[in-house]
Amino acid sequence: MSNAASPEPCCHLELGADGQVLRLRGDWTLARLPELQARLHALAIDPLQPLQLDASGLGALDSAGANHLLSHLERLGVPFPNLHLAGFSAQGLALLNLVAGRRGGVAPHSRRRGRRGLRQVVGWHAFDIARGTRSGLAFIGQTGQALGHLLRHPGLVRWRELFVQLEMVGLRALPIVMLMSYLIGVVFAYLLGIQMQKFSANHLVVDGVGIGIAREMAPLITAVLMAGRSGAAFTAHLGAMKVNQEIDAIVTLGLSPFQVLVLPRLFAIVLMLPLLTFVADVAGFVGAAHVAAWHLDIPTASFYDRLRDVLPLNTVLFGLEKTPVFAAAIALIACHSGFTVKRDARSVGLHTTATVVRSIVAVILIDAIFAVAYPEIEP
Amino acid sequence: MSDEHSARPPEGMRTLPRGDSAQRKGAQMTAPVVEVAALRTRLDGRWVHDGVSFTLRPGEIVALIGGSGSGKTVLLNQLVGLRHPDGGQVKLFGEDLARMGVEALQALRRRFGLLFQDGALFSAMRVAENVAAPLREHLPWLSAPLRDEVVDLKLALAGLPVDAACKMPSELSGGMRKRAALARALALEPELLFLDEPTSGLDPISAREFDSTLRVLVDSLGLTVLLTTHDLDSLWGLADRVIVLFEGKVIADGPVREVARIEHAWIRSYFDTRALE
Repeated sequence: MSNAASPEPCCHLELGADGQVLRLRGDWTLARLPELQARLHALAIDPLQPLQLDASGLGALDSAGANHLLSHLERLGVPFPNLHLAGFSAQGLALLNLVAGRRGGVAPHSRRRGRRGLRQVVGWHAFDIARGTRSGLAFIGQTGQALGHLLRHPGLVRWRELFVQLEMVGLRALPIVMLMSYLIGVVFAYLLGIQMQKFSANHLVVDGVGIGIAREMAPLITAVLMAGRSGAAFTAHLGAMKVNQEIDAIVTLGLSPFQVLVLPRLFAIVLMLPLLTFVADVAGFVGAAHVAAWHLDIPTASFYDRLRDVLPLNTVLFGLEKTPVFAAAIALIACHSGFTVKRDARSVGLHTTATVVRSIVAVILIDAIFAVAYPEIEP
Repeated sequence: MSDEHSARPPEGMRTLPRGDSAQRKGAQMTAPVVEVAALRTRLDGRWVHDGVSFTLRPGEIVALIGGSGSGKTVLLNQLVGLRHPDGGQVKLFGEDLARMGVEALQALRRRFGLLFQDGALFSAMRVAENVAAPLREHLPWLSAPLRDEVVDLKLALAGLPVDAACKMPSELSGGMRKRAALARALALEPELLFLDEPTSGLDPISAREFDSTLRVLVDSLGLTVLLTTHDLDSLWGLADRVIVLFEGKVIADGPVREVARIEHAWIRSYFDTRALE
């Protein structure tokens, strides 16, 4: 920065008979630091000569300004005790003394962490994954232990919490599950109908819709919805409790957080997901039947007649059977994620996001395993 | 002034120049920093404040006491503009909060700092970044080395050890967290500090250390402080003046010594908890 002439430079140096005099003028405040820095650093102060600070023209002085002045002089080799102070108010002196006394020896850059190299990043992530897997397995083990304990002592079931969760997970999700599944049924029947009309085989839409919805669409859509809705809620709730030390409080009261928090949520979603899936089946069929009646000239009665003939009960049951597994995966992922939240707000957000992503991936993975393990469609 | 710092905020941001005690004394006569007049607050169908009035003069440390639920924290929130009173007037530095525009209020907010009860540090940032946050927001043209210099100073002024700078707030003890929050509140060189229960949750030793840090800062930086507290030691050792809130009104306002002698049931029982000493 230039040393351009200005009506009142904030400081200037005079050489007198008995040493140098640094005259301070104007405001030495935080808002003017860059200017002060430019002017001060331009001065040729000789550390070997005595230095007097003259504050007779000084306006406002705040701690940032005082600190900048003192640290610059100290860097030049003029420590605070060697300065001669003149013209300072009592308050100004107190401020200088405070700043000189308190200033720590922190190097300004000591707090910056260096960038991590690629190897370090890979290493950290590998450790993270390993640690996550270990704590996940431990969590499943602890949940299993709690479950075993509950089976031996059925009196320990937390009915109130269970019913609260049944309502939150099941009842309140009904409208959205029905709407989604109805719309899927509509889309499915409509697209299949366009294809089937080419072959004048309109009635085959019922076959396709029946198997598609009962075997894949309804279970998957419902499970994904639950992962986003209940999974996120579990993690956010347990995470906030963790931040608030409520989980520690539960342990201190001699209760098991697994009995009080995890198992009711696990039961609720394992019970509710098959039921919701069944509702989704029905809603999907209704949607498809509406499209069939409006668009494909299949009367509603004949739609359901054909559905009964071509959709074996086993296919419906197969669709329902995998849902408790989805549900268990969602509950375990969500609760584990909630329990491992660190004590800060950002962590709750990160863990909730992770829960939704992980449980959707888990649901689709489990679905793929089921599809490969039981490939036959006919009974 | 030279043009090279055109991004600099306008002159005269401060009305009270620092370091000139004569001017400060003059200001003390004329301009109260905080004026609250006939303030009324309705909360859940109950008048929590029913005509609260008091003033703060520059350089004072004033303690606000009152039972739990007497609306001390609500009052602090109203003073900093987080909440609007249901009646009456709040003036900071002579300006009426209710009549200020958003921008004027933002500018005014740079002149005071608030220490929340549990610190309210940003949990996703390290301590040094927490202190740097107000500087980044309000003085973006400050270069990184200068900003670091200011941050280091504030951490040191608040009495934090050197290694605390790169810790996360969750790694700090309660006392350290309060100090970090104090450093953040001091970042913009405020003239006025509001402290909500600064020593609650601290052990007596840390609490007294915090008090003395505060006393030194107030005396050397020329701060004005309003604090709420339940800590009788802070009251006796730190406060120049005590304001007692009871049933929505100010029932006492004066030096601790005088307030403690007032014959009023609540004040009696409040101070009598220490009568044995």
